[in-house]
Amino acid sequence: MSTTPNGFTLDNSGRRLVVDPVTRIEGHLRCEVNVDENGVIRNAVSSGTMWRGLEVILKGRDPRDAWAFTQRICGVCTGTHALTSVRAVENALGITIPKNANIIRNLMQLTLYAHDHLVHFYHLHALDWVDVVSALSADPRKTSELAQSISKWPKSSPGYFADLQARVKKFVESGQLGPFKNGYWGSPAYKLPPEANLMAVAHYLEALDFQKEIVKIHAVFGGKNPHPNWLVGGMACAINLDGDGANGAVNIERLALVGSIIDRTIEFIDQVYVPDLQAIASFYKDWTYGGGISSQNLLSYGDVPGVANDYSASSLLLPRGAIVGGDLSTIHEVDLTDMEQIKEHVTHSWYKYPNGEDGLHPWAGVTEPHFELGPKTVGDKKRIEALDEEGKYSYIKAPRWRGHAMEVGPLARYVIGYAQGNPEFKEPTDKLLRDLGLPLEALFTTLGRTAARGLEASWAAHKMRWCYDELIANLKAGDSATANPAKWEPETWPKECRGVGFTEAPRGALGHWIVVKDGKIDNYQAVVPTTWNASPRDAAGNIGAYEAALLNTPMADPEQPLEILRTLHSFDPCLACSTH
Amino acid sequence: MSNEHEEKVLSIYVYEAPLRLWHWINALAITVLAVTGYLIGSPPEAMIGEASEHYRMGIIRFLHFGAGYVLLFGFIGRIYWAFAGNEHARELFVPKMYSILWWKELLTELKWYLFLTKEPHKYVGHNPLAQFAMFFIFLVGMVFMICTGFALYSEGAGAGTWSAVAFGWVRDIFPNSQTLHTWHHLGMWYLLTFVMAHVYVAIREDIMSRQSIVSTMISGHRLFKDDRP
Amino acid sequence: MKKKVTTFYDVMEARGISRRDFMKFCTTTAASMGLASSMVPQVVHAMENKPRIPILWIHGLECTCCSESFIRSAHPLASDVVLSMISLDYDDTLMAAAGHQAEAILDEIREEYKGNYIVAVEGNPPLNNDGMFCIVGGRSFLDQLIEVSKDALAVVAWGSCASNGCVQAAAPNPTQATPIKKVITDKPIINVPGCPPISEVMTGVLTYILTFGKLPELDRQGRPKMFYSQRIHDKCYRRPHFDAGQFVEKWDDEGARKGWCLYKMGCKGPTTYNACSSIGFNEGTSFPIKSGHGCIGCSEENFWDNGPFYERLTHVEGFGIESNADTIGMGVAAGTAAAIGVHAVASAGKQLTKKDAENT
Ligand code: HEM
Ligand code: HEM
Ligand code: NFV
Ligand code: SF4
Ligand code: SF4
Ligand code: F3S
Ligand SMILES: [Mg+2]
Repeated sequence: MSTTPNGFTLDNSGRRLVVDPVTRIEGHLRCEVNVDENGVIRNAVSSGTMWRGLEVILKGRDPRDAWAFTQRICGVCTGTHALTSVRAVENALGITIPKNANIIRNLMQLTLYAHDHLVHFYHLHALDWVDVVSALSADPRKTSELAQSISKWPKSSPGYFADLQARVKKFVESGQLGPFKNGYWGSPAYKLPPEANLMAVAHYLEALDFQKEIVKIHAVFGGKNPHPNWLVGGMACAINLDGDGANGAVNIERLALVGSIIDRTIEFIDQVYVPDLQAIASFYKDWTYGGGISSQNLLSYGDVPGVANDYSASSLLLPRGAIVGGDLSTIHEVDLTDMEQIKEHVTHSWYKYPNGEDGLHPWAGVTEPHFELGPKTVGDKKRIEALDEEGKYSYIKAPRWRGHAMEVGPLARYVIGYAQGNPEFKEPTDKLLRDLGLPLEALFTTLGRTAARGLEASWAAHKMRWCYDELIANLKAGDSATANPAKWEPETWPKECRGVGFTEAPRGALGHWIVVKDGKIDNYQAVVPTTWNASPRDAAGNIGAYEAALLNTPMADPEQPLEILRTLHSFDPCLACSTH
Repeated sequence: MSNEHEEKVLSIYVYEAPLRLWHWINALAITVLAVTGYLIGSPPEAMIGEASEHYRMGIIRFLHFGAGYVLLFGFIGRIYWAFAGNEHARELFVPKMYSILWWKELLTELKWYLFLTKEPHKYVGHNPLAQFAMFFIFLVGMVFMICTGFALYSEGAGAGTWSAVAFGWVRDIFPNSQTLHTWHHLGMWYLLTFVMAHVYVAIREDIMSRQSIVSTMISGHRLFKDDRP
Repeated sequence: MKKKVTTFYDVMEARGISRRDFMKFCTTTAASMGLASSMVPQVVHAMENKPRIPILWIHGLECTCCSESFIRSAHPLASDVVLSMISLDYDDTLMAAAGHQAEAILDEIREEYKGNYIVAVEGNPPLNNDGMFCIVGGRSFLDQLIEVSKDALAVVAWGSCASNGCVQAAAPNPTQATPIKKVITDKPIINVPGCPPISEVMTGVLTYILTFGKLPELDRQGRPKMFYSQRIHDKCYRRPHFDAGQFVEKWDDEGARKGWCLYKMGCKGPTTYNACSSIGFNEGTSFPIKSGHGCIGCSEENFWDNGPFYERLTHVEGFGIESNADTIGMGVAAGTAAAIGVHAVASAGKQLTKKDAENT
């Protein structure tokens, strides 16, 4: 038994359980826990098990190309790395962007939020709460009543649910369960009545069909999704409303398409996603686990600059700041250029630093892989049975803010916004808690994390409308510029410079740090939301957000990792992001 | 070779008309290919107006492909002539690398260019150094440009067209079309380097060697300036 | 033990889809694959009689954009593909089970459907570090890939990662990420490159296999000819501007606003085989060029190292920064010209001394 500097008691004496692969996430995550005789998790180990080397590959390349490489860090939060990258390059080279480009970028970022959160809730997370098989015993009429009591969404007739139920039944009877095969159906950990399960299954399918509509906004401005195109200095999608050749650019037809998608997105999120979230949560109110460090340390860089080229906290619509030690009354300022604030550690990560430094600020960051297993590893280099968390055990580095492990993500943003008294975040949070009859502390749980994401999806959808209106207003005012090519050519760049770009990615605070020398990338470092949340221990022994959140959770049946999945999923893990 | 001429002949008919004709057509084709090829890689500034009113890039590419066909058919004709023509018509294709004398002459000629000998030898056809360059730079470069050029051409012409059938395999040698473009483009500079040196040497030899050079490729007759061996 | 076979039509019927709607579905499916209406009965027959084929979708070094693209499919809808056309028995991105319950499925399907399942691979295996740059279930992804492919009917290599290596294989390829075709050599492999591939190209490949009971015709690089036999440039709607010589010269200039050709902004459409300019992304909403940005060649082998993305001519490694075929060529030509110049002066000198000598 030991206690970490950040206040968690670890006991690895109990039975070791391994979950690998952790599924319904992006990428390769391995999780190991020790449970005591009561099936309560007393030790947790989170390991990122892939590494691609993007930071190494970027060296020596043209900074204007970097967005495309970094975008391929992840196809799920597609675009956010690209946006972070063009911001980093613009910051380094002193490039400003036109107002329209800022609005379009915001609109694309918000589109990502709406899409990513929706897909996460239904397709990656819902099966932790929803028992598909139980839906077979639901009464379609009661399901319809339930659906109509929580939302005015039109697809809610008894006949609709009866048809759906018949379809699910045949599917289950076929014996080919596809993605639902070997699920944990019937587990006592599932608490929804059959009617709620049936409603959720219906929305699982509706959401699958609808999500593809949302991202058409990326296609309009960036040509495709996943992986739309971006541009250093603005956006490549020229606007031409009524001039010669307007049908070769963003024109009224394209804008109208975007407008209609925004309307439908708001509708779906407000009438399906949020009501479902609230309905499901109401059945799991007493499952209060998974808070981890969320009640202690939270970090957000802020995003969605209301004023083009102004990345200060006052311009950002999403809140910026850090909360430490659970003190909601003090929001600390976060400075990404301060060499003392953000540092990455590799004591327990499969990397090494040239001079054995303890932590490095990303501008001085080094990515040199070094795969080695601790002496207590069970198994060997070709087949790992159990990791040794006292040695190196993950491809994820351990970022720390002023030495603290931090949680990032929607919950961090909401709590920081709440603590700042920002009504956009405070009011919906208070309302949700009131409706569910829960205290503020209920936020610091697995469900709190999931709820914050749902509220944020709605916030983002409505902000898309706001962006759209702003774009139209600016076009009306006669400004149709989308790119600033003044410093496009490398001859106009300083011989040596460095910059930082940041966004709030769907999963949390994301920063890219770049050093440019002689027109080429000299160093490039990304510190990614899942790097924060899924980080292994640091030299001092602080555990990261995933590991902390798993602790002290009782498992209904340790053979079935449902509770582990629930809590991990509440972070929306993205492992390709975390290690890059 | 030089000792062949001890009988004091001052003029010999070396290059027959088809060969000469080919030489100049080929030179013209390469000039057109190089100019249009360069413009394909770096097109001139855009112009205003309707797209349908213009066809500038189309014309550049049409000239390139036209000259490409001229290059190909000229080359085929030249190969035919290597069989049909006189012995000098074969020199381009079969440098006598098996002959020690040939290598010696190559060295002598090299020394002449390095100002190490006072006077060059005399040659009826190409001197060995010229042969060496024509074989390894010109001929290899030509084959390379024709193969890569028609491989690129087959991409636009489409599957099943003759160029795809005849040159499609070239595309498989390269990882992708962009790389094929890059090599084709580099090939241009490779050939142009040959042409620069070739033209310089032709004019220099015309002045400094003991035989006519430039006019030989026009009239076909090799005139010797002296009757020493 | 062989389970009762459920056909595509059974499942459609179970979904409450009428015979009439089913026929309509078959007709549109045939049309979307460019088939004549006389082929519709064949499509119907296939749909009525084929069992749902198990698919094991495994993930190596990748970014999951291919999965994301897949679920964007509109015709057929991704939900129809997953629930009615195939049996997606393993896919770590979507499946309910995790850990050993998930791994058990691989063994089960391999045994039960020996030779009758398809392996779909997103991403690729790294070979460096004993393959341990990508670890699944405590073992290298390479091991998993080889094991799972052993009894497969065919392997579908989704995206540029699986078909060509993609971004992690860009120089210096620190993990030695390796395309599937170089690791699995004894199975038919269908390469579906693109970063990501177009949704309907992905589902189209599966629909074709299910409908006609055979693998699509492949080109020399193992790509289905039906989607990869022409370049973006061959079907690009900006092509008239290319032919005219009307190019975007600068971002957001007049040409950009008129939709002129992006060749001079580095568009790799002329050297990229894909269906973007005909099918488009996101239900035909757009494709890179339509939204004003050049093609970066994302379906081509090695495209990351054929940059920079904003220049027409590729930079050539090993000749210093910013060197392309022209700068290298001009350098060599200038060198040659200088050498000729020096040689010419020396020759002239020699000629004069020789003349002098003759004159005295
Ligand atoms: C694109 C330009 C040119 C190319 C590719 C080229 C290529 C060749 C080739 C391949 C031969 C050998 C002919 C054979 O054996 O069939 C040759 C010979 C010759 N070329 Fe050119 N040529 C070019 C331009 C010129 C020019 C501009 C001149 C005149 C200044 C010239 C003068 C000669 C002469 C004099 C010979 C005969 C050399 C001898 O007498 O041995 N060439 N050229
Ligand atoms: C001396 C011979 C040749 C020279 C110097 C030459 C030069 C060039 C150059 C510099 C390019 C631009 C490459 C790029 O940067 O993308 C080019 C492209 C091309 N060449 Fe050639 N070329 C030659 C022969 C040929 C031949 C024989 C053909 C066959 C028809 C040919 C067909 C093409 C094609 C199809 C392209 C691509 C055009 C496009 O992308 O629009 N070339 N050539
Ligand atoms: N972690 C992470 Fe991402 C996000 N959101 C990126 O920055 O998921 Ni793919
Ligand atoms: S092909 Fe491209 S989009 Fe697909 S997984 Fe690889 S990097 Fe991602
Ligand atoms: S935009 Fe690209 S693909 Fe389209 S015509 Fe121009 S070069 Fe070709
Ligand atoms: S970048 Fe890729 S998406 Fe298509 S247009 Fe080019 S192949
Ligand atoms: Mg990093």
